[in-house]
Amino acid sequence: MEPTDYDIDETDLELPAEPMRLNMGPSHPAMHGTIRMVLELDGESVEKVDVQLGYLHRGFEKMCERGTWAQVFPYTDRLNYVSPILNNVGYALAVEKLAGIVVPERCQYYRVILGELARISDHLTCNGAMAMELGAFTPFLWIMKGREHIWDLLEEETGARLTHSFFRIGGVAKPPRPELKARVREVVDAVLLILDESEKLLLKNRIFVDRLQGVGHITAAEAVQYGFTGTVLRATGVAYDVRKAHPYLVYDRMEFDVPVGTDGDNWDRFMCRLYEIRQSCRILAQACEQMPDDGPVNVERPEIVLPEKEAVYKTIEGTIQHFKLVMEGALIPAGEVYSYTEAGNGELGFFIVSDGSGTPYRVRVRPPCVFTLQGFPRMIRGHMVADIVPTFGSVNMIGGECDR
Amino acid sequence: MTLSSIIWTVVKILIVVGFIVNLSAILTWMERRQSAMMQDRVGPNRAEITVFGYKIRLFGLLYPIADAVKMFTKEDFIPPNADKVLHSLAPMLSLFPPLVVLGVVPFTDTLCLDNLHEVVQKNGVVASNWHFFSSWIEQPSCSLPGAKNFIDGCCVIGCQTAGVVHQPWAEHFGTCPANVAPGMIGAIHMQVIDFNPGVLYVFALAGMGIVGASIAGWSSDNKFSLMGGLRAASQLVSYEVAMGLSIVGAIMVYGTIRLDEMTRWQGDHVWGVFVQPLAFILFLTAAIAETKRAPFDLPEGESEIVAGYLVEYSGMKFGMFYMGEFIEIATSSALLVAIFLGGYNMPFLHRDGITIAVGDAVVWKQHIPHILVILMQAGAFFGKIFVLCWFQMFVRWTLPRFRYDQLMKLGWRMLLPAALANIFLTGVILIAFDRTGTEFQERMGVVGDFVNLATAIAITFVQLWIVIGFFGSTQPAIRRNAFNKRARSAGEIVEKALAS
Amino acid sequence: MPQPLVGSFPYDKVKGTAVPKPTRTASEQGYVSEITKGIAVTMTHFFKNTRAMVRGERPDPVVDPMSEGITTLEYPDQKRPYPERFRGVHRLTHRDDGSPRCVACLCCSTACPAQCIYIEAGEYGGKDKRHGYERYPVKFVIDELRCIFCGYCVEACPCDAIRMDTGVHPVPYDSRDQFIYGKNMLLAMASQAGKQKHENPRAEPPDADYGPIERLAGHH
Ligand code: SF4
Ligand code: SF4
Repeated sequence: MEPTDYDIDETDLELPAEPMRLNMGPSHPAMHGTIRMVLELDGESVEKVDVQLGYLHRGFEKMCERGTWAQVFPYTDRLNYVSPILNNVGYALAVEKLAGIVVPERCQYYRVILGELARISDHLTCNGAMAMELGAFTPFLWIMKGREHIWDLLEEETGARLTHSFFRIGGVAKPPRPELKARVREVVDAVLLILDESEKLLLKNRIFVDRLQGVGHITAAEAVQYGFTGTVLRATGVAYDVRKAHPYLVYDRMEFDVPVGTDGDNWDRFMCRLYEIRQSCRILAQACEQMPDDGPVNVERPEIVLPEKEAVYKTIEGTIQHFKLVMEGALIPAGEVYSYTEAGNGELGFFIVSDGSGTPYRVRVRPPCVFTLQGFPRMIRGHMVADIVPTFGSVNMIGGECDR
Repeated sequence: MTLSSIIWTVVKILIVVGFIVNLSAILTWMERRQSAMMQDRVGPNRAEITVFGYKIRLFGLLYPIADAVKMFTKEDFIPPNADKVLHSLAPMLSLFPPLVVLGVVPFTDTLCLDNLHEVVQKNGVVASNWHFFSSWIEQPSCSLPGAKNFIDGCCVIGCQTAGVVHQPWAEHFGTCPANVAPGMIGAIHMQVIDFNPGVLYVFALAGMGIVGASIAGWSSDNKFSLMGGLRAASQLVSYEVAMGLSIVGAIMVYGTIRLDEMTRWQGDHVWGVFVQPLAFILFLTAAIAETKRAPFDLPEGESEIVAGYLVEYSGMKFGMFYMGEFIEIATSSALLVAIFLGGYNMPFLHRDGITIAVGDAVVWKQHIPHILVILMQAGAFFGKIFVLCWFQMFVRWTLPRFRYDQLMKLGWRMLLPAALANIFLTGVILIAFDRTGTEFQERMGVVGDFVNLATAIAITFVQLWIVIGFFGSTQPAIRRNAFNKRARSAGEIVEKALAS
Repeated sequence: MPQPLVGSFPYDKVKGTAVPKPTRTASEQGYVSEITKGIAVTMTHFFKNTRAMVRGERPDPVVDPMSEGITTLEYPDQKRPYPERFRGVHRLTHRDDGSPRCVACLCCSTACPAQCIYIEAGEYGGKDKRHGYERYPVKFVIDELRCIFCGYCVEACPCDAIRMDTGVHPVPYDSRDQFIYGKNMLLAMASQAGKQKHENPRAEPPDADYGPIERLAGHH
């Protein structure tokens, strides 16, 4: 019998192992919005992530330089396609800032109301999809029913469920319907009831809580340095909400809180979105109360806003104004401007340059989720493959906005 | 082995396999419709066939047929670099074990072929020729000291306590009247394989299920498959341990590893779930984990590793995995029923009929001919399986998925210690119980009767509730336009939501 | 690896309200009781919906989409009318005599961001009353496959000649050429209410009250 206690170097005992390369995406059930991640795995845990975006690149910014200023609206619908109204608002505000326009109060409230509805639908989708990807299919479908109510309402108002193209430079395509306020109240009620019910299945369920808490953590300092905005930043504890920090439209008249997290993990992001839905409902309630029932919705700027149809049909001035605007587009004074709003995912910025013609010279978008996506490898490092799903879900990358 | 016994074995196999395969087909429908009802959807209901110009839809029950047609006609794809033999073997390996596990599960009491029309007692004695008008039959009085009633061929006390000394007929239980004519088969054990390993056989075969999944994962030549296969292997191995240990307590109580004897014990006393509640929960958890369905569907976790070891399967090979999964649900439900939910027994349904008795007081008594009793038992057994499958669907559609490490923690750090604690506790209680006097044991028998009574009442109540609720009451279930009628302002509800 | 941030955040003038952390009470940590509650919630839905299905009391999704319970629209069998503002496939409005109201001014095809409208303008013959007054579309083609249903064409039309109030959503076909809607096809469409006439009050040459067009101000 040989002695067994001779010296062996500990490292000799381990079998040589090298990390496994795994390609997640661009078509993978969890990679909504076509994104590719090259993972280096050590067993189930993630050593390294290489996030590769651009699979949904459509040349948005270049396309914008082709048509008139107004023809950009349909493109913005396709940025964050879960809350298109908010993109519409963002772009409209940017051009109005350049042209020095302040839309009438009624229109501002209208934008706030539709925008907040879109925000609710955005957060509902994000939270629901996140739960669904974790296997909780039932609350997801309940939540989708709530989103359906919102989209029905948006369809009644704007004429389309998703690609609204509803706001115009200096106003809005159509005035609010008289039923608007009653319908908003009804929908908010319904959504909140559905939300309460879905929460019952999730928030106290240990399986769900364990999947979220402590996963995908990022500190406030890192989040700021990466340029995070929106819910992902607020979940780390920084109460930066464009609606509060730099109020636009009539948000300064609204009373609402900014829900913040403390750890910046998936749980905080999930909860922040849940509470933001409630805050949006609060804003909606106030906006419905304050919004004037009549009054103009478009500014009195004939060189920018299309005239009333009645005037086009009957008067020569109206007809000519109409023709000029349709054929040349509104002429926006030369200059450049950066305007930013709080979209579903964070600060949606539009940097636009005009050379004084009816066509944008440059439209640059600051999409919030590109920045959050940069931080994603940082969030996921050291966690497991399965954690990619809720973390990616809570980052809420939207391909249309990220890749443009 | 006589010819007739071979024929009977084949018949039993057909009954079990026919039931389980058809149940799995129905389960695919049930899963869709049930999840739809839970999620406020309609569910699939449009598959239709046209017979003589009539369009038949059957609430979507035709979907399993459509599925089968689809699976059979789809291309059977084998990845070019896959191991072709193993890739084809894996689906069979995962379909076969759950099917044969049911071989040792009894689905009714012993069938006495010659006495179908008579009232047969537990000890194999014909109580009487059953006659509709003279159903109240005088029972012989009990000669045991202290025992007053004579139920189902034995004295109450003799039946209720586990001690064999009181049961002069114990070894004859499940037998048939001795006067078997030459050439007749007489007693037929209603389980396919009548042998001693019982539960051990179940675990041996259930362990085989791992092989199918992990071979599928390895042979597909796909990284997602490989991860799925690995996850399946580790998950099944971990939960096999907890599953095996969880029923040790039950085995200690029943004093046997044969499933038919376990079932009979539960008929004599109470259902196993009342003596081993913790073991029931542990076994249920482990059984759901074995079926690889949510919340334990990590091997397939479609949002993480696409479909795990199923990624590279298509056509009927995928169909076999799919079927195997549903058969596994049915099998695990059958095991749960046999071990914990009384098997084919219903409270107060004895072999000679219904006798509602608590302790010494007989409330109601009705003799029933043997064949009817057997049919009722079969109905009870298959019905319970169905209800358990239904329940498992709820679990699947309510809960999200575990993460890999959490799953392992749950298996090794919670289920396993709990199962061990259960064994220890059961041992202590059993020893203590044996030390107590007969009087205490008699009292426990009465408690058992009360539990049976409660079970019976609960079952009746639930059935009545469903029937009345579904067809009797005039109150509509759905409040129409509920949100509109509530007529609250958005502000109010928001305040409420924020306050909570 | 980003460096730790020096100094304070620029945004701390707003105070946020912290969201709650999971409670993690003993009953939640033990899985069983909370899972039972969750199953009770789904079971309530199951029984309510099954009961409504069995008794045929399902809320009618067409008239009552906001109701509790199953409000799934079983689409081809049940249809919900589209809201008034819904932008469906286009139609060309008619004059009283059934000719298209369109004057081939090309406003719509210019405004169209998808450039999916093709118009070939033609002059009325010398005897026609509208000769010299306006033109008419010889060809009016919309590629409904390219169209993004933004409604800009309707907004751009100066004489209410094109509308999207048909209440017909973009129809799926099998081949691309079926999506090309010609003039006759567009003229054949009616609004949801079944109307085909235009609502442009401007009088035209053949009309009795045709006269000079209004002006808001005179010449200087
Ligand atoms: S709806 Fe928009 S895309 Fe379609 S034809 Fe009209 S302007 Fe063009
Ligand atoms: S439809 Fe209207 S906008 Fe288009 S060419 Fe005809 S008249 Fe002009």
